Amino acid sequence: MKLHHLFRDIIHNRGQAVIFTLCVALSMVSLVAVNSLRRDVRGVIAEDAAALQGGDVIVRSGGEFTPALRDELARVVGEGMATATTAWEFHSVARREGGEAVLFSNIKAVSGGYPLYGTVELRSGRPFAEVLRPGAVVVGQALLDRLGLAVGDHLLLGEGRLQIVDVVVRESQRPVEFFTFGPRVFMSEGDLAITGLVGKGSRTSYRWLLRLADPGAAETVAARLQARAGEGERVATAATSGSRIKRFFDNLLFFLSLIAVFTLLLAGIGMQSSLAALLRRQVKTIAILRALGAGNRHILGHYLGLVLLLGLCGVILGIGGGLMLKGAVFQLLAGLLPEKLTLEASLADLFQGLGLGLTAVLFFTFLPLAGIARIKPAAIFRKETAGGLRRAMPRLALLLGLLLLSAVVVLQLDDLITGLWFMAAVLLLVAVMGGLAHLVLAGLARLDISSLALRQAVRSLSRPGNASRTVVVTLASALAVLFSIYLVEKNLRAAYIESYPADAPNLFFLDIQKDQRADFIDLVGSDAELFPVVRARLLAINDREIDRRREVERRGDSLSREFNLTYRDSLLADEKLVAGKGLFGGNRAPGGLPPVSLLDSVVEIGDMEIGDTLHFSIQGVSLKAEATSIRSRTRSLLYPFFYFVFPEETLKAAPQTFFAALKVPQGEASLLENRVVSRFPNVSPINVGESAVELGKLMAKLSLLVAFFASLSILAGGLILVGSILATRLARLEEAVHYKILGGDTAFVLKVFGLENLVLALLSGGAALLVAELGSWALCHLVLDISFRPYPLASLVAVGAITTVVVALGLLASVSVIVKKPGAYLREHSS
Amino acid sequence: MASPILVGERLCKSYVRGDRKIQVLYEVSLAVDQGEFLVIAGSSGSGKTTLLSILSGLDLPSSGRVILGGRDITGLSEDQLAPLRNRQTGFVFQAFHLIPSLNALENVMFPAELGKDPEARAKAMTLLERVGLSARAGNFPEQLSGGEQQRVAICRAVINRPALLFADEPTGNLDSRNSEGIVELLLDLHRNQGTTLVMATHSPALAARADRLVRLHDGAVVTSADRSL
Repeated sequence: MKLHHLFRDIIHNRGQAVIFTLCVALSMVSLVAVNSLRRDVRGVIAEDAAALQGGDVIVRSGGEFTPALRDELARVVGEGMATATTAWEFHSVARREGGEAVLFSNIKAVSGGYPLYGTVELRSGRPFAEVLRPGAVVVGQALLDRLGLAVGDHLLLGEGRLQIVDVVVRESQRPVEFFTFGPRVFMSEGDLAITGLVGKGSRTSYRWLLRLADPGAAETVAARLQARAGEGERVATAATSGSRIKRFFDNLLFFLSLIAVFTLLLAGIGMQSSLAALLRRQVKTIAILRALGAGNRHILGHYLGLVLLLGLCGVILGIGGGLMLKGAVFQLLAGLLPEKLTLEASLADLFQGLGLGLTAVLFFTFLPLAGIARIKPAAIFRKETAGGLRRAMPRLALLLGLLLLSAVVVLQLDDLITGLWFMAAVLLLVAVMGGLAHLVLAGLARLDISSLALRQAVRSLSRPGNASRTVVVTLASALAVLFSIYLVEKNLRAAYIESYPADAPNLFFLDIQKDQRADFIDLVGSDAELFPVVRARLLAINDREIDRRREVERRGDSLSREFNLTYRDSLLADEKLVAGKGLFGGNRAPGGLPPVSLLDSVVEIGDMEIGDTLHFSIQGVSLKAEATSIRSRTRSLLYPFFYFVFPEETLKAAPQTFFAALKVPQGEASLLENRVVSRFPNVSPINVGESAVELGKLMAKLSLLVAFFASLSILAGGLILVGSILATRLARLEEAVHYKILGGDTAFVLKVFGLENLVLALLSGGAALLVAELGSWALCHLVLDISFRPYPLASLVAVGAITTVVVALGLLASVSVIVKKPGAYLREHSS
Repeated sequence: MASPILVGERLCKSYVRGDRKIQVLYEVSLAVDQGEFLVIAGSSGSGKTTLLSILSGLDLPSSGRVILGGRDITGLSEDQLAPLRNRQTGFVFQAFHLIPSLNALENVMFPAELGKDPEARAKAMTLLERVGLSARAGNFPEQLSGGEQQRVAICRAVINRPALLFADEPTGNLDSRNSEGIVELLLDLHRNQGTTLVMATHSPALAARADRLVRLHDGAVVTSADRSL
């Protein structure tokens, strides 16, 4: 293999070489960006775990800690193993003194010594511990802005009146504002009692934070405390404790990984297609080399060298592009990313990118390279040069290659089951698109088309070397994913944000105590719907204990969390029964287990069915019930729903609070919130209208990010289209010359080539739209459980835009063919 | 004496390949009368094909001019030439140049369809029957032999009944049996339809049947004679 021969071959086939290199780069760009960002985010979270969590060991509970755990903690501290501090965190309304302005806030009451790790930076620059004294609060700037307050003013929290003494600038345990509703309010533990906000049944997170003398002993201390922990009390180390930020980024980056792998696969098809086209042009050269006595090793070595050289250029380009893309993502997610995260490129990015890229290059080029071995010297005499590169790879090698690729995908996604499902889904998508393309192209070829230009355009789709099917499969697959993301996002937005029905409740109140119920109704009016809420944990299904470790790893909802049980004897307005005889199974034999009705979504999570025995713990009291019916929601609103519904007699005596849903004019919501919180300080209001706006902003940002990543896969389709046009340049040139010799003018030639690309674009767009509509419908109905709207006009506009781009791209790539003089072609061709 | 249908005046053609300028034609002048059968003969590389391309308007001369039917076509654009190629001239190539994606019938129909002739299909079928290929009308070029392809190409060239037919080595890629059939077909069209035939060939037997012979050597006319070699 001589390097200058490689360069000569590359220059001679520069069109396909550029397409191949760009495909390799494209396959890398999003993967490198996602992997590098993931590495950075995980690095910051792991490095700063103690500061992020607030301690080496963290003990959490939804209620007061049990005496056994208190005693054990006292022993640990007494033995000098750790120092401890406490933090109570909850949401409530902060009010402006002498005004009606209220603000739903994230309140944290802390004891002395807080924070043990990290910092709470204040605007004054003074130490946090010195500033936060009894009677004082430290607040986020957003609270001052929205309530029109300033440092020195007083803030009303429940029944307490506290002075604002400083402003929080940065907080290690809350590096990102986006994941918590409401601005921060810090208060001293000693003031909790005067606010009256924390009481029995209120929704408060109790936390002990421990700083160990020997941080290496975290696991041991955690195990010791866990051994004494009661139900609902969780002990974790800084390393094992999850956080909303970590979960958010894990999920976001996982989803982006899926799209990145999808782009890799489509760009891989592009690599294969462009290399096959390049090698088709080399068939005669290879045949001559063979006739002169060159062996397979020599020839394969040469072309493998060419592939690796171009692949390496592509990978380096892809790594550079990936790091640039990461920078763009960094900008887009500003405000969502931890503050300490800095934009950097590491050696790990480089090596991982190289490894992934070269593996992809070798996999996707194996098929065309293997075809070289089948080219015989006799190919010199054949006029047609398209043969010789077809299906040389045995099925076993293809299977092995697929397994290898699946392994790469699984490693990238870090999830075996999802990885395999993903590969199966992509293969299915490609197969469906391939089948559709084959059917339509074959059908078109059989049509008796009267228009000469259209007939010629349709016939041209099957010219030798034309990658019509590959173009349709890749373009349509990429578009299907992009359309699906668009449709699902539009439907989610419609279900949860835009079309929030006028008569639906927009103000919720949490934690109304049993004895406050009547007064609450008096205050807000009898239109309020009240739902009893009993907090409980699910311990087992049919005596099979819930595997909490496995449940925690679930990406969606899990069975390990605390559930809200309720009781009533009828279905809600937006519910229907999908299984069972009535809510509680009709007439039941006395003495049996109490009945429970399940919502279909929890049935799916727990793989439950009617007749199953569910074992709950309600604040330590055991309750076993038999599943008697399955409900489903008919409308998908931000409307209260409960996984588990019991008859009243079963839960009536259990400790419970009430949840109220009200519909009030948006302008009056603040006033009502203020009145309720003034009267019942422990009650927390949630203004759904405001929450929907916040949710909408987040969705818009994330969907832009996802759409941007998905649009990269469309580039793969575009590259294959240009590659296909370049590969058939000679055939197109010959056609254009024929048309001109026979009397066709430029308009006719343009019309034929334009129509050919139009058919390709419409076929790709149409197939993509069909699959996207069906897929999105299934996703909305079966997974998200929301109603589906097809958005036909927007979809058709999208298909129209894509069609315009494809036709323009096709014509642009054919310009040199269209302007060629017939005589010049004939002279060059004959010589 | 019939008026010339085609005139070439002081035609020169050169092009640059790499850093070399190649002169293909030197001041070639000739006139072709209506209904005449003219053969342009010469060895390989003498400039026959280039001269034919320029005379038919497929290529531009570096200097000189071409007058077709009394109209100077030298400076016409591709789009101005298109209707002339479609209606007034036909071209038969050595390499057939059939459109591979169209079957035999569609190839023959193509120029008539371009001219929006509603009888295109019927005319094409009649021509194919005449050359004995009606049974192969649905076959694609790759399914036809060389002789059959050339017969289809001739049908395509004459479907619009052009006044002038150019043929560039029409038997160059055929065996002797097929060559004879093609020559007879062309001469038959020339005789029965009064088509002017300008043919480039290096076959002495074919040249012997021409009304007039123009011999080229290194891009220049060395002999021009009536009915003689």
